[in-house]
Amino acid sequence: MSKFFKRIGKRIVAGLVMILAVSSFTFFLVHFMPGNPVQTKLNTLIEEGIPPLQAQAQVRSMYGFIPHQPLYIQYFHYVWQVLHLNLGKSISYSGVPVMHLLLKAMPWTVIMVLTGLAVSFIIGITAGVIASVKRNSKLGDGLLLLSTFLHGIPQFIMALGLAYVFTTIFKIFPFGAPYNAAISPGFTIPFIGSLARHAVLPIAAYAISGFGAWALTMRASVTSVLGDDYILAAELRGVTPSIRLRYIARNAMLPLFTILTLSVGFMFGGSIFIETIFDYPGLGYTINTALAARDYPLMDGAFLMITAAVIIATIVADLLYTVLDPRIQRI
Amino acid sequence: MGADLKVIGNADQDAQVECQIRDLTVTFTTDSGEFPALNHVNLDIIKSKITAIVGESGSGKSTLGLAILNGVAFPGKVTEGSVDFAEHGNVLKLRGKALRHFRGPVVGTVFQASQNAMNPLARVGKQILDLGRSHHYKDPRKLLHEAENLARRMAMDPSRVLTAYPHQLSGGMRQRMGIIMALVLKPKVLLLDEPTTALDLLTQSAVLEIIRSIHRERHLTTILITHDMGVVAEISDYIVVMYAGRVVEQGSTHETLRDPRHPYTRAILRAIPRLTGDLNRARPLEGSPPDLTQIPATGCVFRSRCSYRVPQCDLVAPILESVDTGHFVACHQEGLIRD
Ligand SMILES: Nc1ncnc2c1ncn2[C@@H]1O[C@H](COP(=O)(O)OP(=O)(O)OP(=O)(O)O)[C@@H](O)[C@H]1O
Ligand SMILES: [Mg+2]
Repeated sequence: MSKFFKRIGKRIVAGLVMILAVSSFTFFLVHFMPGNPVQTKLNTLIEEGIPPLQAQAQVRSMYGFIPHQPLYIQYFHYVWQVLHLNLGKSISYSGVPVMHLLLKAMPWTVIMVLTGLAVSFIIGITAGVIASVKRNSKLGDGLLLLSTFLHGIPQFIMALGLAYVFTTIFKIFPFGAPYNAAISPGFTIPFIGSLARHAVLPIAAYAISGFGAWALTMRASVTSVLGDDYILAAELRGVTPSIRLRYIARNAMLPLFTILTLSVGFMFGGSIFIETIFDYPGLGYTINTALAARDYPLMDGAFLMITAAVIIATIVADLLYTVLDPRIQRI
Repeated sequence: MGADLKVIGNADQDAQVECQIRDLTVTFTTDSGEFPALNHVNLDIIKSKITAIVGESGSGKSTLGLAILNGVAFPGKVTEGSVDFAEHGNVLKLRGKALRHFRGPVVGTVFQASQNAMNPLARVGKQILDLGRSHHYKDPRKLLHEAENLARRMAMDPSRVLTAYPHQLSGGMRQRMGIIMALVLKPKVLLLDEPTTALDLLTQSAVLEIIRSIHRERHLTTILITHDMGVVAEISDYIVVMYAGRVVEQGSTHETLRDPRHPYTRAILRAIPRLTGDLNRARPLEGSPPDLTQIPATGCVFRSRCSYRVPQCDLVAPILESVDTGHFVACHQEGLIRD
């Protein structure tokens, strides 16, 4: 078991290094951005008649930067703050800590992305298995074509298309906002029902855009497993089709964990479009408004959160892989 | 159907046929063309005996094994012939459940790639239970018990090998597990396709000895596909020599090894020092194994490598004919072939 924990420990350390790298990158990006926003803000404040020292303190509390200090001191200060989970204060929501805003936005995104991921995974691997087993038939060809097609559609087009078809042409689902504002939030059936109804289209957007990748990978993987000796051997020993399918599915699923991370990143990236189109106050929406308002601390924080989410997904994928494949040493 | 398959001719008066193969032709369709991997194979597998099938790589031995299980898969196809089992009829006609319950409980098989014949993600014991479940075994403990006994006989620690994942076993252990999985359902026919290739010589002879004793205890009909003429001489009762998808010689092992009549059989026997005991006389077979896509449509398939070749060999393909009771040879010149 100790090797198992060593492996997780290594992954977590690697994850922290990654987070550090991303936060450093954003620091320098913001710092070297044309029309340095920190300096601009400082100048604006001074122009507004705020004494320079006070202006500096204000900028520092916003960005976590100390203008006029040497760059490396600014950098260490920033990293130190990030390590203490202090992401500075928002500019557009003046004075509200970024962490506070992100924690409020996070659940929307995480729940939607995870649900979308689960739905796309289940539909995708099912379609992949069928597409592979029936690969010499119309059904298999059709599924392959559909997966390739859906895989190629950008998420924002998918989201817009779904919104147009199901809220405008056929008024089946409500559009915009995560729930009906007329219903007071609470743990009540009408409210939860409203949440669910509003969530259908955005989740479908995530699921359909992610489905193709799962289906295509699963199809290739199943096709290779089908040619493996132990599957033929099981067939020639008279093992039932259902048990054989279990052998095939479990073996074919292993390579999928390597794209789980990619998929999570892809979906979090997609949240920028999907949440904006469907008016969900999640991380993607936050990034979009932060971009529009040039709210750099908020933007940095949101990117950092997404990085953290992808890294956590990597660790989870690795863990699952270790549990599912006995060939990876655990002892 | 029924248990009355006719014996074509056998020195042994009591011989009964377990499996009768007639005109079996299997064609593969590949990018390099269409070719028969088995070409009108006629064969009787005698009940309760060990029949060895020998021949060069690519001669169609594994294909024959698969055809016996009605398991020839794309891009291969049985285009002609029948495989009749005494109580099951033509297995090439079996489909679905009937076929599934034929494979396993009737014919236990060890495959050529038997080192990779287990699901890497499941423990060995679990896979034996899956086998039991597939064939409606009522008492899984009895099945495991049987597997444990067999493991012990094959010199493996049952508690270790049954709880292991396949990758935790050595190649030889996996191969022995393959034999156990073929025997555990107590089939009446045992089909072994090079079952001991991953074993060292000592383990190999021990395992063959176990196979032979189980064969005797359970009155199994055993089909053993092998390259190893030493093994053939040691444990088989009958021998079938294949060349380019055809049976070229067939008979009792004793008779055939003593008096081989087909030039190919003679050549492979000469290639083995350990039978003749004379290293100087051991000569490898000249020429290369035939390319099935390039075989001429007429004449004998072996003629290009044959030192007894006569003009007739280019024109007429020899058919398998009886030269003695139960000894068949497909050669125009067999009468001349004597030491
Ligand atoms: N899946 C396949 N696709 C195409 N050709 C095949 C396939 N399987 C077998 N063959 C061809 O059929 C012929 C007989 O093959 P087979 O495996 O029966 O030979 P074998 O006698 O068992 O040889 P070996 O001693 O090497 O195991 C070969 O020419 C081989 O190339
Ligand atoms: Mg073979």
